[in-house]
Amino acid sequence: MVHRNRIILTVFAFLGAGACLAEAQSLAVVAKPAAKPAAKAATSEAAASPAPRTADGQPDLQGYWTNSTVTPLERPKDLGEKAFFTPQEAAEYAKKQLATAAPTGPGTYADVHYNMAQFGLEKNQSKVAASIRTSLVVDPPDGRIPPMTPEARSRNAERAAKSKGHEFDGPENRGLAERCIMWGNEGPPMMPAGYNSNLEIVQGPGYVAILQEMIHDARIIPTDGSPHLPSTVRQWLGDSRGHWEGDTLVVDTTNFTDKSAFRGSSENLHVVERFRRVNPDTILYQFTVDDPSTWTRSWSAEIPMTKIDGPVYEYACHEGNYGMANNLSGARADEKKAEQKQGAK
Amino acid sequence: MIKFLGAVLFLAALPVWAHHSFAAEFDVTKPVKLQGTVTKMEWINPHSWIHIDVKNPDGTVTNWMIEGGSPNSLLRRGFTKHSLEPGTEIVVEGYQAKDGAYRANGRDLTFPDGKKLFIGTNPDEKLSEK
Repeated sequence: MVHRNRIILTVFAFLGAGACLAEAQSLAVVAKPAAKPAAKAATSEAAASPAPRTADGQPDLQGYWTNSTVTPLERPKDLGEKAFFTPQEAAEYAKKQLATAAPTGPGTYADVHYNMAQFGLEKNQSKVAASIRTSLVVDPPDGRIPPMTPEARSRNAERAAKSKGHEFDGPENRGLAERCIMWGNEGPPMMPAGYNSNLEIVQGPGYVAILQEMIHDARIIPTDGSPHLPSTVRQWLGDSRGHWEGDTLVVDTTNFTDKSAFRGSSENLHVVERFRRVNPDTILYQFTVDDPSTWTRSWSAEIPMTKIDGPVYEYACHEGNYGMANNLSGARADEKKAEQKQGAK
Repeated sequence: MIKFLGAVLFLAALPVWAHHSFAAEFDVTKPVKLQGTVTKMEWINPHSWIHIDVKNPDGTVTNWMIEGGSPNSLLRRGFTKHSLEPGTEIVVEGYQAKDGAYRANGRDLTFPDGKKLFIGTNPDEKLSEK
Protein backbone atom coordinates (compact mmCIF):
# COMPACT_ATOMS: atom_id res chain seq x y z
CA MET A 1 0.00 0.00 0.00
CA VAL A 2 2.88 2.30 0.71
CA HIS A 3 3.97 1.74 -2.83
CA ARG A 4 0.55 2.55 -4.17
CA ASN A 5 0.27 5.75 -2.20
CA ARG A 6 3.61 6.88 -3.50
CA ILE A 7 2.36 6.38 -7.02
CA ILE A 8 -0.78 8.37 -6.37
CA LEU A 9 1.37 11.20 -5.04
CA THR A 10 3.80 11.16 -7.88
CA VAL A 11 1.05 10.90 -10.46
CA PHE A 12 -0.38 14.00 -8.84
CA ALA A 13 2.94 15.78 -9.01
CA PHE A 14 3.23 14.84 -12.63
CA LEU A 15 -0.27 15.86 -13.59
CA GLY A 16 0.12 19.19 -11.89
CA ALA A 17 -2.56 21.42 -10.49
CA GLY A 18 -5.22 20.43 -12.98
CA ALA A 19 -5.25 16.78 -11.99
CA CYS A 20 -8.33 15.34 -10.40
CA LEU A 21 -8.38 12.70 -7.74
CA ALA A 22 -10.43 10.39 -9.90
CA GLU A 23 -7.78 10.34 -12.56
CA ALA A 24 -4.98 9.64 -10.12
CA GLN A 25 -7.00 6.83 -8.60
CA SER A 26 -7.76 5.22 -11.91
CA LEU A 27 -4.14 5.29 -12.95
CA ALA A 28 -2.70 4.19 -9.66
CA VAL A 29 -3.79 0.66 -10.22
CA VAL A 30 -1.30 0.15 -12.99
CA ALA A 31 1.01 -0.88 -10.18
CA LYS A 32 -1.23 -3.80 -9.21
CA PRO A 33 0.13 -6.90 -10.86
CA ALA A 34 -3.05 -8.83 -10.17
CA ALA A 35 -5.01 -6.48 -12.39
CA LYS A 36 -2.36 -7.43 -14.87
CA PRO A 37 -0.04 -5.99 -16.96
CA ALA A 38 0.81 -2.70 -17.78
CA ALA A 39 2.70 -1.78 -15.05
CA LYS A 40 6.20 -2.60 -15.02
CA ALA A 41 7.48 0.91 -15.62
CA ALA A 42 4.99 2.72 -13.43
CA THR A 43 7.64 3.39 -10.84
CA SER A 44 7.47 6.58 -8.90
CA GLU A 45 10.79 7.72 -10.32
CA ALA A 46 9.57 7.31 -13.86
CA ALA A 47 6.27 9.01 -13.21
CA ALA A 48 8.01 12.00 -11.70
CA SER A 49 10.14 12.73 -14.74
CA PRO A 50 8.93 15.42 -17.14
CA ALA A 51 7.02 14.44 -20.27
CA PRO A 52 9.48 13.28 -22.89
CA ARG A 53 9.93 15.50 -25.94
CA THR A 54 10.53 14.88 -29.61
CA ALA A 55 13.61 16.38 -31.27
CA ASP A 56 11.56 19.41 -32.28
CA GLY A 57 10.15 19.92 -28.81
CA GLN A 58 6.66 18.36 -29.02
CA PRO A 59 5.43 16.20 -26.15
CA ASP A 60 6.41 12.73 -27.32
CA LEU A 61 3.51 10.28 -27.82
CA GLN A 62 5.41 8.11 -30.26
CA GLY A 63 5.65 4.37 -30.05
CA TYR A 64 3.50 1.25 -29.94
CA TRP A 65 0.46 1.15 -27.67
CA THR A 66 -2.47 -1.07 -26.87
CA ASN A 67 -5.90 0.13 -25.80
CA SER A 68 -7.04 -3.35 -24.82
CA THR A 69 -9.11 -3.15 -21.67
CA VAL A 70 -11.31 -5.23 -19.41
CA THR A 71 -13.40 -2.19 -18.50
CA PRO A 72 -16.84 -2.19 -20.13
CA LEU A 73 -17.84 0.82 -22.20
CA GLU A 74 -20.95 1.32 -20.09
CA ARG A 75 -21.23 0.71 -16.36
CA PRO A 76 -23.47 -2.16 -15.29
CA LYS A 77 -26.69 -0.56 -14.05
CA ASP A 78 -26.49 -2.15 -10.62
CA LEU A 79 -23.31 -0.19 -9.86
CA GLY A 80 -25.21 3.11 -10.10
CA GLU A 81 -22.81 6.02 -9.68
CA LYS A 82 -19.95 3.91 -8.35
CA ALA A 83 -17.24 5.05 -10.76
CA PHE A 84 -14.36 3.09 -9.21
CA PHE A 85 -13.75 -0.38 -7.91
CA THR A 86 -11.54 -0.82 -4.91
CA PRO A 87 -8.18 -2.22 -6.06
CA GLN A 88 -9.28 -5.63 -4.76
CA GLU A 89 -12.60 -5.50 -6.60
CA ALA A 90 -10.77 -4.36 -9.73
CA ALA A 91 -8.36 -7.29 -9.51
CA GLU A 92 -11.23 -9.76 -9.09
CA TYR A 93 -13.15 -8.20 -11.94
CA ALA A 94 -10.09 -8.28 -14.22
CA LYS A 95 -9.46 -11.91 -13.37
CA LYS A 96 -13.00 -12.82 -14.33
CA GLN A 97 -12.81 -10.87 -17.58
CA LEU A 98 -9.47 -12.40 -18.52
CA ALA A 99 -10.51 -15.97 -17.83
CA THR A 100 -10.30 -18.37 -20.74
CA ALA A 101 -13.67 -18.78 -22.43
CA ALA A 102 -15.76 -21.72 -21.29
CA PRO A 103 -15.90 -24.65 -23.73
CA THR A 104 -18.88 -24.66 -26.04
CA GLY A 105 -21.20 -27.60 -26.63
CA PRO A 106 -20.76 -29.62 -29.82
CA GLY A 107 -23.47 -29.02 -32.40
CA THR A 108 -24.43 -25.60 -31.03
CA TYR A 109 -24.11 -22.34 -32.90
CA ALA A 110 -21.70 -21.08 -30.26
CA ASP A 111 -19.38 -23.93 -31.20
CA VAL A 112 -19.12 -22.97 -34.87
CA HIS A 113 -15.95 -20.99 -34.57
CA TYR A 114 -12.24 -21.36 -34.46
CA ASN A 115 -10.49 -21.71 -31.14
CA MET A 116 -9.66 -18.17 -30.04
CA ALA A 117 -7.28 -19.39 -27.38
CA GLN A 118 -5.22 -21.42 -29.86
CA PHE A 119 -4.81 -18.48 -32.16
CA GLY A 120 -3.77 -16.21 -29.31
CA LEU A 121 -6.80 -14.01 -29.75
CA GLU A 122 -8.19 -14.07 -26.25
CA LYS A 123 -7.73 -10.90 -24.30
CA ASN A 124 -5.69 -12.67 -21.64
CA GLN A 125 -2.96 -13.35 -24.18
CA SER A 126 -1.95 -9.77 -24.73
CA LYS A 127 -1.16 -6.84 -22.52
CA VAL A 128 -4.21 -5.19 -21.03
CA ALA A 129 -4.22 -1.62 -19.77
CA ALA A 130 -5.29 -1.67 -16.15
CA SER A 131 -7.83 0.61 -14.56
CA ILE A 132 -10.06 0.60 -11.50
CA ARG A 133 -12.82 2.38 -13.36
CA THR A 134 -16.14 0.55 -13.57
CA SER A 135 -16.85 1.93 -17.07
CA LEU A 136 -15.01 3.64 -19.88
CA VAL A 137 -17.78 6.25 -19.94
CA VAL A 138 -16.94 8.89 -17.33
CA ASP A 139 -19.70 11.36 -18.13
CA PRO A 140 -22.70 11.23 -17.57
CA PRO A 141 -22.01 10.27 -13.93
CA ASP A 142 -23.96 7.00 -14.26
CA GLY A 143 -21.28 5.81 -16.71
CA ARG A 144 -23.83 5.11 -19.41
CA ILE A 145 -24.34 6.52 -22.89
CA PRO A 146 -27.22 9.02 -22.83
CA PRO A 147 -30.52 8.06 -24.45
CA MET A 148 -30.96 8.50 -28.18
CA THR A 149 -33.13 11.28 -29.52
CA PRO A 150 -36.45 10.27 -31.13
CA GLU A 151 -34.95 11.41 -34.47
CA ALA A 152 -32.03 8.99 -34.10
CA ARG A 153 -34.29 6.13 -33.03
CA SER A 154 -36.48 6.48 -36.09
CA ARG A 155 -33.46 6.96 -38.37
CA ASN A 156 -31.86 3.76 -37.10
CA ALA A 157 -35.14 1.84 -37.19
CA GLU A 158 -35.57 2.88 -40.82
CA ARG A 159 -32.09 1.67 -41.67
CA ALA A 160 -32.72 -1.64 -39.96
CA ALA A 161 -36.06 -2.10 -41.71
CA LYS A 162 -34.50 -1.33 -45.07
CA SER A 163 -31.81 -3.96 -44.71
CA LYS A 164 -34.04 -6.62 -43.18
CA GLY A 165 -34.32 -9.64 -45.44
CA HIS A 166 -31.57 -8.32 -47.70
CA GLU A 167 -28.57 -8.92 -45.47
CA PHE A 168 -26.97 -11.37 -47.86
CA ASP A 169 -28.17 -10.03 -51.21
CA GLY A 170 -24.65 -9.06 -52.25
CA PRO A 171 -21.36 -7.76 -50.89
CA GLU A 172 -22.68 -4.21 -50.50
CA ASN A 173 -25.30 -5.49 -48.06
CA ARG A 174 -22.70 -6.83 -45.67
CA GLY A 175 -21.30 -4.84 -42.76
CA LEU A 176 -18.32 -2.57 -43.15
CA ALA A 177 -16.06 -4.91 -41.18
CA GLU A 178 -16.94 -7.92 -43.26
CA ARG A 179 -16.24 -5.85 -46.36
CA CYS A 180 -12.85 -4.88 -44.91
CA ILE A 181 -13.72 -1.20 -45.27
CA MET A 182 -13.34 -0.33 -41.60
CA TRP A 183 -13.89 -1.88 -38.19
CA GLY A 184 -15.99 -0.51 -35.38
CA ASN A 185 -12.93 0.24 -33.29
CA GLU A 186 -11.40 2.72 -35.69
CA GLY A 187 -13.48 5.75 -34.86
CA PRO A 188 -12.60 8.32 -33.98
CA PRO A 189 -13.18 7.83 -31.11
CA MET A 190 -10.72 4.93 -31.16
CA MET A 191 -11.92 1.89 -29.24
CA PRO A 192 -10.35 -1.47 -28.42
CA ALA A 193 -10.76 -3.87 -31.33
CA GLY A 194 -11.20 -7.03 -29.23
CA TYR A 195 -7.95 -8.51 -30.51
CA ASN A 196 -4.90 -6.98 -32.20
CA SER A 197 -5.92 -3.82 -30.31
CA ASN A 198 -2.63 -2.18 -31.16
CA LEU A 199 -1.67 1.18 -32.53
CA GLU A 200 1.42 3.12 -33.48
CA ILE A 201 1.88 6.86 -33.11
CA VAL A 202 4.42 8.77 -35.18
CA GLN A 203 5.05 12.51 -35.03
CA GLY A 204 6.67 14.95 -37.42
CA PRO A 205 6.71 18.72 -37.67
CA GLY A 206 3.08 19.78 -38.02
CA TYR A 207 1.65 16.27 -38.01
CA VAL A 208 0.73 13.36 -35.78
CA ALA A 209 -0.03 10.03 -37.47
CA ILE A 210 -1.86 7.15 -35.80
CA LEU A 211 -1.87 3.70 -37.36
CA GLN A 212 -4.38 1.23 -35.92
CA GLU A 213 -3.61 -2.42 -36.58
CA MET A 214 -7.33 -3.12 -36.95
CA ILE A 215 -7.82 -2.85 -39.69
CA HIS A 216 -5.51 -0.74 -41.78
CA ASP A 217 -6.13 2.98 -41.63
CA ALA A 218 -3.57 5.61 -40.72
CA ARG A 219 -5.00 8.83 -39.34
CA ILE A 220 -2.88 11.75 -40.53
CA ILE A 221 -3.64 14.61 -38.17
CA PRO A 222 -2.32 18.08 -39.04
CA THR A 223 -1.28 20.14 -36.00
CA ASP A 224 -0.38 23.22 -38.02
CA GLY A 225 -3.51 25.24 -37.25
CA SER A 226 -5.10 24.52 -40.61
CA PRO A 227 -8.92 24.53 -40.70
CA HIS A 228 -11.24 21.55 -41.25
CA LEU A 229 -12.04 20.51 -44.80
CA PRO A 230 -15.10 22.17 -46.40
CA SER A 231 -18.27 20.63 -44.99
CA THR A 232 -19.09 19.15 -48.40
CA VAL A 233 -16.14 16.73 -48.06
CA ARG A 234 -17.13 13.73 -45.92
CA GLN A 235 -14.75 10.93 -44.97
CA TRP A 236 -14.97 7.48 -43.38
CA LEU A 237 -12.81 8.61 -40.45
CA GLY A 238 -13.95 12.22 -40.59
CA ASP A 239 -11.46 15.09 -40.79
CA SER A 240 -9.16 15.40 -37.80
CA ARG A 241 -7.23 18.54 -36.82
CA GLY A 242 -4.96 18.65 -33.80
CA HIS A 243 -3.33 21.20 -31.53
CA TRP A 244 -1.30 21.08 -28.33
CA GLU A 245 -2.62 22.32 -24.99
CA GLY A 246 0.44 22.08 -22.80
CA ASP A 247 1.46 18.42 -22.91
CA THR A 248 -1.93 17.31 -24.22
CA LEU A 249 -2.68 16.63 -27.87
CA VAL A 250 -6.23 17.73 -28.59
CA VAL A 251 -7.81 16.42 -31.80
CA ASP A 252 -11.07 17.76 -33.19
CA THR A 253 -12.89 15.62 -35.76
CA THR A 254 -15.87 16.51 -37.96
CA ASN A 255 -16.88 15.80 -41.60
CA PHE A 256 -18.02 12.22 -40.98
CA THR A 257 -20.17 10.35 -43.47
CA ASP A 258 -23.50 8.82 -42.53
CA LYS A 259 -22.10 5.44 -43.58
CA SER A 260 -19.70 5.02 -40.68
CA ALA A 261 -22.21 5.57 -37.90
CA PHE A 262 -20.57 5.35 -34.49
CA ARG A 263 -23.13 3.68 -32.25
CA GLY A 264 -25.94 4.95 -34.45
CA SER A 265 -24.58 8.50 -34.83
CA SER A 266 -25.24 10.74 -37.84
CA GLU A 267 -22.80 12.54 -40.11
CA ASN A 268 -23.02 15.47 -37.67
CA LEU A 269 -20.90 13.56 -35.15
CA HIS A 270 -18.28 15.76 -33.49
CA VAL A 271 -15.45 14.09 -31.60
CA VAL A 272 -12.82 15.74 -29.41
CA GLU A 273 -9.97 13.48 -28.30
CA ARG A 274 -7.25 14.22 -25.76
CA PHE A 275 -3.95 12.31 -25.55
CA ARG A 276 -1.63 12.85 -22.60
CA ARG A 277 1.39 10.80 -21.69
CA VAL A 278 0.86 10.52 -17.95
CA ASN A 279 3.89 8.28 -17.44
CA PRO A 280 6.44 6.71 -19.76
CA ASP A 281 4.29 3.61 -20.26
CA THR A 282 0.83 5.15 -20.37
CA ILE A 283 -1.11 7.56 -22.55
CA LEU A 284 -4.41 8.61 -21.04
CA TYR A 285 -6.81 8.79 -23.98
CA GLN A 286 -9.99 10.74 -23.37
CA PHE A 287 -12.76 11.63 -25.75
CA THR A 288 -16.02 13.51 -25.88
CA VAL A 289 -18.62 12.77 -28.54
CA ASP A 290 -21.43 15.08 -29.41
CA ASP A 291 -24.20 14.71 -31.95
CA PRO A 292 -27.44 16.51 -31.07
CA SER A 293 -29.24 14.57 -33.78
CA THR A 294 -28.31 11.30 -32.05
CA TRP A 295 -27.95 11.70 -28.27
CA THR A 296 -29.82 13.86 -25.79
CA ARG A 297 -26.48 15.18 -24.52
CA SER A 298 -22.74 14.82 -25.18
CA TRP A 299 -20.81 12.06 -23.40
CA SER A 300 -17.21 11.34 -22.54
CA ALA A 301 -15.03 8.31 -21.93
CA GLU A 302 -11.41 7.52 -21.17
CA ILE A 303 -9.17 4.56 -21.98
CA PRO A 304 -5.60 4.16 -20.76
CA MET A 305 -3.21 3.08 -23.51
CA THR A 306 -0.29 0.92 -22.46
CA LYS A 307 3.09 0.73 -24.12
CA ILE A 308 3.80 -2.52 -25.94
CA ASP A 309 6.65 -3.94 -27.97
CA GLY A 310 6.27 -3.33 -31.68
CA PRO A 311 5.79 -3.76 -34.44
CA VAL A 312 2.21 -3.26 -35.48
CA TYR A 313 1.69 -5.79 -38.25
CA GLU A 314 -0.02 -5.06 -41.52
CA TYR A 315 -3.58 -6.39 -41.53
CA ALA A 316 -4.31 -6.21 -45.29
CA CYS A 317 -7.88 -7.34 -44.74
CA HIS A 318 -8.92 -7.20 -48.38
CA GLU A 319 -6.19 -9.44 -49.65
CA GLY A 320 -7.41 -12.62 -48.03
CA ASN A 321 -11.07 -11.83 -47.50
CA TYR A 322 -12.35 -15.25 -48.62
CA GLY A 323 -15.01 -14.90 -45.93
CA MET A 324 -17.07 -12.50 -48.04
CA ALA A 325 -17.54 -14.94 -50.93
CA ASN A 326 -17.96 -17.84 -48.50
CA ASN A 327 -20.70 -16.08 -46.55
CA LEU A 328 -22.64 -15.20 -49.68
CA SER A 329 -22.17 -18.72 -50.96
CA GLY A 330 -23.50 -20.02 -47.64
CA ALA A 331 -26.55 -17.78 -48.00
CA ARG A 332 -27.20 -19.09 -51.52
CA ALA A 333 -26.97 -22.65 -50.19
CA ASP A 334 -29.48 -21.77 -47.46
CA GLU A 335 -31.86 -20.30 -50.03
CA LYS A 336 -31.62 -23.38 -52.22
CA LYS A 337 -32.33 -25.60 -49.25
CA ALA A 338 -35.37 -23.49 -48.35
CA GLU A 339 -36.64 -23.68 -51.94
CA GLN A 340 -36.27 -27.45 -52.00
CA LYS A 341 -38.13 -27.71 -48.73
CA GLN A 342 -40.87 -25.53 -50.17
CA GLY A 343 -41.01 -27.65 -53.34
CA ALA A 344 -41.27 -30.87 -51.36
CA LYS A 345 -44.42 -29.68 -49.59
CA MET B 1 -27.28 -16.34 -32.88
CA ILE B 2 -26.33 -12.85 -33.87
CA LYS B 3 -27.94 -11.77 -37.10
CA PHE B 4 -26.78 -8.85 -39.13
CA LEU B 5 -30.08 -7.00 -38.93
CA GLY B 6 -29.48 -3.40 -39.71
CA ALA B 7 -25.79 -3.99 -39.86
CA VAL B 8 -25.36 -2.66 -43.35
CA LEU B 9 -24.34 0.80 -42.32
CA PHE B 10 -23.61 0.09 -38.73
CA LEU B 11 -20.46 -0.49 -36.85
CA ALA B 12 -20.36 -2.26 -33.56
CA ALA B 13 -18.31 -0.20 -31.19
CA LEU B 14 -16.93 -2.85 -28.88
CA PRO B 15 -15.13 -5.90 -29.68
CA VAL B 16 -15.69 -7.40 -33.02
CA TRP B 17 -14.82 -10.93 -32.01
CA ALA B 18 -14.73 -12.41 -35.41
CA HIS B 19 -14.50 -10.96 -38.80
CA HIS B 20 -17.80 -12.36 -39.95
CA SER B 21 -20.69 -14.50 -38.87
CA PHE B 22 -19.43 -18.08 -38.68
CA ALA B 23 -22.93 -19.46 -38.68
CA ALA B 24 -23.49 -17.83 -42.09
CA GLU B 25 -20.54 -19.68 -43.55
CA PHE B 26 -20.46 -23.03 -41.76
CA ASP B 27 -23.15 -25.60 -41.11
CA VAL B 28 -23.84 -26.44 -37.49
CA THR B 29 -25.34 -29.77 -38.62
CA LYS B 30 -22.15 -30.85 -40.41
CA PRO B 31 -19.45 -31.40 -37.82
CA VAL B 32 -16.24 -32.85 -39.28
CA LYS B 33 -13.15 -34.48 -37.86
CA LEU B 34 -10.34 -34.62 -40.39
CA GLN B 35 -6.85 -36.01 -40.25
CA GLY B 36 -4.54 -34.94 -43.06
CA THR B 37 -1.21 -33.53 -44.12
CA VAL B 38 -0.61 -29.84 -44.60
CA THR B 39 -0.17 -28.81 -48.22
CA LYS B 40 -0.14 -25.05 -47.66
CA MET B 41 -0.66 -22.52 -44.88
CA GLU B 42 -1.91 -19.10 -45.93
CA TRP B 43 -0.80 -16.51 -43.36
CA ILE B 44 -3.38 -13.95 -44.37
CA ASN B 45 -5.91 -11.65 -42.74
CA PRO B 46 -8.66 -11.50 -41.79
CA HIS B 47 -8.30 -15.29 -41.36
CA SER B 48 -5.47 -17.72 -41.82
CA TRP B 49 -6.24 -20.74 -44.01
CA ILE B 50 -4.64 -24.14 -43.66
CA HIS B 51 -4.89 -26.50 -46.63
CA ILE B 52 -4.71 -30.22 -45.89
CA ASP B 53 -4.87 -33.38 -47.96
CA VAL B 54 -7.29 -35.83 -46.38
CA LYS B 55 -7.33 -39.48 -47.40
CA ASN B 56 -10.88 -40.75 -47.82
CA PRO B 57 -11.96 -44.31 -46.89
CA ASP B 58 -12.01 -45.23 -50.62
CA GLY B 59 -8.38 -44.23 -51.02
CA THR B 60 -9.01 -40.96 -52.86
CA VAL B 61 -7.61 -37.72 -51.50
CA THR B 62 -9.52 -34.49 -50.89
CA ASN B 63 -7.88 -31.15 -50.31
CA TRP B 64 -9.67 -29.26 -47.53
CA MET B 65 -9.35 -25.57 -46.56
CA ILE B 66 -9.47 -24.84 -42.84
CA GLU B 67 -10.31 -21.36 -41.57
CA GLY B 68 -8.35 -20.06 -38.57
CA GLY B 69 -7.68 -16.83 -36.72
CA SER B 70 -5.73 -13.71 -37.65
CA PRO B 71 -2.05 -14.56 -38.13
CA ASN B 72 -0.92 -11.30 -36.48
CA SER B 73 -1.30 -12.76 -33.01
CA LEU B 74 0.53 -15.95 -33.99
CA LEU B 75 3.42 -13.90 -35.34
CA ARG B 76 3.58 -12.09 -31.98
CA ARG B 77 3.92 -15.46 -30.27
CA GLY B 78 6.87 -16.40 -32.41
CA PHE B 79 5.17 -18.56 -35.01
CA THR B 80 6.44 -17.99 -38.53
CA LYS B 81 5.44 -19.26 -41.93
CA HIS B 82 7.92 -22.08 -41.34
CA SER B 83 6.10 -23.23 -38.20
CA LEU B 84 3.64 -25.33 -40.14
CA GLU B 85 5.48 -26.86 -43.07
CA PRO B 86 3.82 -28.89 -45.83
CA GLY B 87 3.79 -32.56 -44.90
CA THR B 88 2.94 -31.96 -41.26
CA GLU B 89 0.14 -34.23 -40.12
CA ILE B 90 -2.68 -32.54 -38.21
CA VAL B 91 -6.18 -33.25 -36.92
CA VAL B 92 -8.98 -30.74 -37.40
CA GLU B 93 -12.33 -30.64 -35.68
CA GLY B 94 -14.83 -28.14 -36.99
CA TYR B 95 -17.89 -27.67 -39.16
CA GLN B 96 -18.14 -27.94 -42.93
CA ALA B 97 -19.15 -25.03 -45.17
CA LYS B 98 -22.87 -24.64 -45.85
CA ASP B 99 -22.38 -24.70 -49.59
CA GLY B 100 -20.92 -28.21 -49.37
CA ALA B 101 -17.41 -27.18 -50.43
CA TYR B 102 -14.44 -28.86 -48.77
CA ARG B 103 -13.98 -26.02 -46.33
CA ALA B 104 -14.33 -26.09 -42.57
CA ASN B 105 -13.64 -23.88 -39.59
CA GLY B 106 -10.67 -24.94 -37.48
CA ARG B 107 -12.55 -25.33 -34.21
CA ASP B 108 -9.75 -27.38 -32.67
CA LEU B 109 -6.40 -28.03 -34.27
CA THR B 110 -4.14 -30.72 -32.86
CA PHE B 111 -1.27 -32.96 -33.83
CA PRO B 112 -2.13 -36.67 -34.01
CA ASP B 113 -0.72 -37.12 -30.48
CA GLY B 114 -3.30 -34.69 -29.17
CA LYS B 115 -0.96 -31.75 -28.63
CA LYS B 116 -2.45 -28.44 -29.65
CA LEU B 117 -1.23 -27.07 -32.96
CA PHE B 118 -0.76 -23.50 -31.82
CA ILE B 119 -0.42 -22.71 -28.20
CA GLY B 120 -1.17 -19.27 -26.93
CA THR B 121 0.35 -17.97 -23.75
CA ASN B 122 -0.81 -19.55 -20.54
CA PRO B 123 -2.75 -16.72 -18.91
CA ASP B 124 -1.55 -17.64 -15.45
CA GLU B 125 2.07 -17.45 -16.49
CA LYS B 126 1.36 -14.17 -18.15
CA LEU B 127 -0.04 -12.73 -14.97
CA SER B 128 3.05 -13.43 -12.94
CA GLU B 129 5.39 -12.53 -15.76
CA LYS B 130 4.25 -8.96 -16.22
